[in-house]
Amino acid sequence: MLSERDIVAKVQQLTVTRLRVWVRQGWIRPAAKAKQPFSEADMARAALIRDLEDKLGFDEEQVPVLLNLIDQIHGLRTELKTLLEALDELPDDVRATVKVRIAKRKRSTRR
Amino acid sequence: MADDLYSVLGVTRGASAEDIVKAYRKLAKKLHPDLNPGDKTAEEKFKQVTAAYDILGDAEKRRRFDAGEIDASGQERPQQRYYREYAGGEDAARYRSTAGFDDLGGFSDLFGDLFGKGAGARGGGQRFAMRGTDAQYRLEIDFLEAVNGTKKRITLPDGGTLDVTIPAGVDAGQVMRLKGKGMAGVGGAPSGDALVEILVKPHPAFKREGDDIVVEVPISFDEAVLGGKVEVPTIGGKVFATVPPGANSGQTLRLKGRGIKSKGGKHGDQLVKLTVVMPYRVDEDLKAFAEEWRGKHRYDPRRKLKEQA
Repeated sequence: MLSERDIVAKVQQLTVTRLRVWVRQGWIRPAAKAKQPFSEADMARAALIRDLEDKLGFDEEQVPVLLNLIDQIHGLRTELKTLLEALDELPDDVRATVKVRIAKRKRSTRR
Repeated sequence: MADDLYSVLGVTRGASAEDIVKAYRKLAKKLHPDLNPGDKTAEEKFKQVTAAYDILGDAEKRRRFDAGEIDASGQERPQQRYYREYAGGEDAARYRSTAGFDDLGGFSDLFGDLFGKGAGARGGGQRFAMRGTDAQYRLEIDFLEAVNGTKKRITLPDGGTLDVTIPAGVDAGQVMRLKGKGMAGVGGAPSGDALVEILVKPHPAFKREGDDIVVEVPISFDEAVLGGKVEVPTIGGKVFATVPPGANSGQTLRLKGRGIKSKGGKHGDQLVKLTVVMPYRVDEDLKAFAEEWRGKHRYDPRRKLKEQA
């Protein structure tokens, strides 16, 4: 686990003040009150927010909207992965049936 | 140290290796400390130019600089670990959101299990909890066991056992759901269910059509002509069925209530398909009779076929 100082040292253009603002906004959610409350994921997330603001030029009203969408996508991706893994465990004939149904559904919704 | 080594040498990013050598030599000739004694600025510049040439003059280092793998001083530049690499992992679970997929939840129980309980938390600080996975099993039973219902014990891969009560009239492909008999949940969430798919071995005599049972019953030539009682197997034991005089192959008798007990408590029927079987040996009696009978009662069983084709 990482401390506030570790994050600031490793993510360029990040200051303690900035990081604290992000934590206060709830954009980054460190683990409770530990001495080193940040994970590698938190650090990558800090770098993501830095990129959104500095490189891509989004402002602080727009960033939470983007984060919310990104979090939804990853939530969805994880659920989808679970679903696919579950399907993978099914017997071949059932998987084949699912495959056919999906194709059918795609054909009927395309049009 | 300037970030753009190309501007230090005064060349474009697309400059060829030769252009770079030429540019460097030209600058070096102008700036070399020994040619500019006492000129501190020239020395400083010469160092910069040489450092730039050290990287751009080396094909591999130039490639890495262009790709952003090393910085202008030749130092390894730490590669940014993008959030997406972590976003699917345990540490990022508290950020993942499934809010807004509630509409999918009503779709089927499958999606309810996925999106409904404990998958991803909103608002941080919540413990991760996930319902156990459903365990899948297949169980093959005899035709009559499916018809009459039975109790079966499945031995699980881990050595444990699972008792399954199979209700009368279960159909092939039906899945029995045993609540809470699947894999254990995580973080206090309930266990998954055991899903037992029922496979039914075919029976040599009985066939199933919905709640009806179909049996093919051979009758003799004389039984077909004269009618009579014949013994017929049913799923509940042997019974006698009345064959009407003049019965024919393909004709079906319906034995009311001798089929499968359906969910509503009603019984299906047994359908008896008759097949007329000629005597195994045609003797002189039969031959003589047929000759005589044909003379007086000729009939054409293929009349309809001729009309059709």
